[in-house]
Amino acid sequence: MSEKKQRSIAVLCLALLCSVSSRAQQVLRWGADPSGGAPYVFTDPANPDQYIGYEKEMVEALAAHMGRRPVMVATDWEAIVPALERGEFDVIVNGLEPTEDRAARILFSRPYYVFNLQLTVRREERNIASLEDCRNKLVGTLGNTAASRLLAQRGIPFRGYADPVAAYRDLELGRLDAVLMDVPMEAYYARDNPRLRPAGPPFRGGVYVIGLRKGDEALKAEVDAAIEAIMRDGTLERILRRWNLWDAAQAELHAAMRKGEEVHYAMTAATFNWGDALKRLARAAAVTVMLAFGAMLIALALGLLLAIGQSKDGGWLSALCTAYIEFFRGTPVLVQLLFLYFGLPQIGLALPGWLTALVGLGLNYAAYESQVYRAALEAVPRGQWEAAYSLGMSPALAFRRIILPQALRIALPPMTNDFVSLFKDTSVAFAISVWELATAYRELANATGEFLLLGVVVSVFYLAMSLPLAHAARRLEQRQARRRALQLQAAEATT
Amino acid sequence: MIRALNLYKSKDGKQILRGVSFEVASGTTLGIIGASGSGKTTLLRCLNGLERIDRGVIECGDVRLDASLADVEYARRAKLLRRRVGMVFQHLHLFPHLSVLGNITEAPVHVLGMQRSEVEREAQELLAEIGLQGVAHRYPESLSGGEQQRVAIVRALIMRPDVLLFDEPTSALDPRRSANVRALLRRFIAQGHTMIVVSHSIRFLEDLADHLLYMEGGEVVEHDRAEALLYAPKDARTQDFLRQAR
Ligand SMILES: Nc1ncnc2c1ncn2[C@@H]1O[C@H](COP(=O)(O)OP(=O)(O)OP(=O)(O)O)[C@@H](O)[C@H]1O
Ligand SMILES: [Mg+2]
Repeated sequence: MSEKKQRSIAVLCLALLCSVSSRAQQVLRWGADPSGGAPYVFTDPANPDQYIGYEKEMVEALAAHMGRRPVMVATDWEAIVPALERGEFDVIVNGLEPTEDRAARILFSRPYYVFNLQLTVRREERNIASLEDCRNKLVGTLGNTAASRLLAQRGIPFRGYADPVAAYRDLELGRLDAVLMDVPMEAYYARDNPRLRPAGPPFRGGVYVIGLRKGDEALKAEVDAAIEAIMRDGTLERILRRWNLWDAAQAELHAAMRKGEEVHYAMTAATFNWGDALKRLARAAAVTVMLAFGAMLIALALGLLLAIGQSKDGGWLSALCTAYIEFFRGTPVLVQLLFLYFGLPQIGLALPGWLTALVGLGLNYAAYESQVYRAALEAVPRGQWEAAYSLGMSPALAFRRIILPQALRIALPPMTNDFVSLFKDTSVAFAISVWELATAYRELANATGEFLLLGVVVSVFYLAMSLPLAHAARRLEQRQARRRALQLQAAEATT
Repeated sequence: MIRALNLYKSKDGKQILRGVSFEVASGTTLGIIGASGSGKTTLLRCLNGLERIDRGVIECGDVRLDASLADVEYARRAKLLRRRVGMVFQHLHLFPHLSVLGNITEAPVHVLGMQRSEVEREAQELLAEIGLQGVAHRYPESLSGGEQQRVAIVRALIMRPDVLLFDEPTSALDPRRSANVRALLRRFIAQGHTMIVVSHSIRFLEDLADHLLYMEGGEVVEHDRAEALLYAPKDARTQDFLRQAR
């Protein structure tokens, strides 16, 4: 047995001993998002109880060097930095790019991987050959990544996704014009898709580093040493080769490390820009208002038709309207939106996200408005119909000129209240990545860490809309109550 | 001229009209009296086409509403009938969302297709004639019961019906107001209107109606010239009713 081998066995024994004696300190809790996370870390398709990925293998190698036991904490990519700050885990190992705004909040290890970016388009796309052609196009990417910062910096309209699968699917469906993604993801999720193709060659994106909490300098030294060790002994190269991720850029990175050269890497994208953030927030606010008004318009028109249809008792039309109303009131609006967004494309109807949200909320609220109409129509006394008929009016004319105007007055306060709810419910569009206030809040707050400040700003905006409306509804209600009381008094006085 | 022939009407399994027949000649007024629940309101509603009769025929001018007609045709003719027969409801049913002027002009403009300015001028004239100057732009809820009633009368009158139906026109009014309404109806008689007036009050119908009709249990008990029915009733049931009413 060579001396070297003996030593390594001794180290191993020591590590084992330590892990038995003080288990808690010997754990390396690492955070990563496994959903759509190939090839970094993702659910093993062959064994769904288990995560696999090159970064998982890398962490295991690192942990072995550090004498720690790796424990993965599954987390949400877009909120990964705040989760680290909260102490949910000790390191981020998830293809994290060093950016200036992140540097202000967390520590970075030395880089362990050099990544390229690849622009992908639909096979039949004619107008996009490179990022330069995307000025007036919508580009999808992962939210809160170097790629998203690059797009923001270039002023290219983009939408941030929570996982690459959704982004490439929306590209296929025509909801996006292109997708910009780190090559490892592009290779795994897009390259073999016959309906997609790369647009132009890959270009240098930056490096991946491990993220650590500010103040964890000791752990950072440990991690850096471990990275150097697995680069030096070829462990990392073996892992990357196995995952088909080894290329000239990685060889360069390894060589530089061996020569002891300081590896310089440019911060991959611009600092988070507040002016830009405010602009995006304003756009989100406009989308929220547009969604609320658009959906309410649909709800009011369709709701009236439903109420009329439902009132024609006995027929199939009434049964159909009732079924519609029960369905939309009996299932969650979130599920309805997901169905419209992901389900309809399967029968060839792929609407853009904002339109899906607008129509979906409109269809949902129509069910509620129909019941407001119905109650209001029933509240108009029968005598009003009869008086109209006795003057020679047709049912349609009586409805339009006599009944509906009175019903609308009765319906106005509850409808105003429903509009306030709808205004807040636009936030479910978040689930289908529509850039409205809730989405904007999440993405901008994750990017800046300003959960408190942005939360207040966003809340103030919601309140600025909902408070006056709710107040108006109360005023209308009070006025109607007063008027009813007056009418009652008058009726009593005459009998 | 309006004529009812052997009208039958039941509601919820209850027989309300049992073979009602009568005729009102043009330019005359028929008063209908009878105990509560005898079917007076139901009869007026049938004459106005608001209720479908089970049997019998209603004729007004060239409109003939026959109980045996199919639903669609019945509805079509009922609508024609309503053009000829105007109704002033016991509870008026003014449109609360429209001004007095709106209440009156709504039907002429949208049903008859008349010029709004012309209808408004006529409405103002009628309002003035009936003693309601200056209320045109007020809303029904701000009017007294008597004023509301006169608005309801003008609303029916402006459609120029051949026959005007009144259901209990004085039930909501004090004696002085009720005298005013009587004066008003008397003026309509002088103008040659044909009217049917349902009332509890025999005193109200006296000197107003040319003919009186006494109903009981959905049947016409007696129908005669007013003086004859009031001062020489033939049927014992009429005599009973009159004795109790006085
Ligand atoms: N929708 C209905 N269903 C069942 N019965 C009804 C209905 N409408 C009226 N009736 C009954 O029909 C009868 C006649 O009612 P109607 O209103 O015509 O009487 P009326 O002579 O006008 O009485 P009043 O002098 O009290 O106004 C009453 O017994 C009443 O209860
Ligand atoms: Mg009655």
